[in-house]
Amino acid sequence: MPSIRTKCFQEIDYTDSAAFHFPCGLPGFEHERAFVFLNRPDSHPLLFMQSILTPELCFILLPVFVVAPQYQLVLDEDALADLQLPPTDQPKIGADILCAAIVCAKGNQEPPTVNLLAPVIVNLRDRIGMQVIQTQSGYSHRHPLVAQQELASCS
Amino acid sequence: MLVMRRRAGESFLVGDDIEIQVLQVSGTRVKLGINAPPSAVIVRREIQITQNENQTAARSVSPHAIESLLNRLPALAAPPADSAGRQDFDESHNPRLS
Repeated sequence: MPSIRTKCFQEIDYTDSAAFHFPCGLPGFEHERAFVFLNRPDSHPLLFMQSILTPELCFILLPVFVVAPQYQLVLDEDALADLQLPPTDQPKIGADILCAAIVCAKGNQEPPTVNLLAPVIVNLRDRIGMQVIQTQSGYSHRHPLVAQQELASCS
Repeated sequence: MLVMRRRAGESFLVGDDIEIQVLQVSGTRVKLGINAPPSAVIVRREIQITQNENQTAARSVSPHAIESLLNRLPALAAPPADSAGRQDFDESHNPRLS
């Protein structure tokens, strides 16, 4: 069983069937074509998207519904085709696809932000992923991640 | 910002060797044609934003960042009591943690 070194955790074993393929990589990381996703009970609900090629490359993700329960995803026909999803229906988040936003941790003073403009979408059945930019959505690439009690204290 | 009005079929130049032509206008969409030397890097604005944001996000990851993220967000960190409508990632998709 192959193993990879990871940025945040110890070495992990994985099977080839656990890998997710990103045919175009990610913007800024075009040569990174394979990732594994890690979720750990002690860091719920964070997901870790670890590069298989580059041990130092790991993204922190949050499922979009954790950040924005009303998140509206629109995949155009090109994106559906790239993800090998049927062209007729929008896929169901959580059942057909994973839809998660990349988290950018900031310094101690600034709230972390999540990129709702360009969520990572993964076809769970065929294990194909890509980052799909929601150009028309109005979502921010730096949506502040504010805890609910902080929101409450502001109102 | 320079603002100019162009109709379909008209073009303008950026510098001496980059020509941008409006090919088609339909509704809110504009189709542009770009003639530029190979050395000119042409990238959609939103792709560039995403490239930069991905690189910043990747650099920001550290055990300390994860810890402060979880400390900062106890409301998010607690597993929701109700799974209805909740997106989750099935354990079976994951590699075994050694």
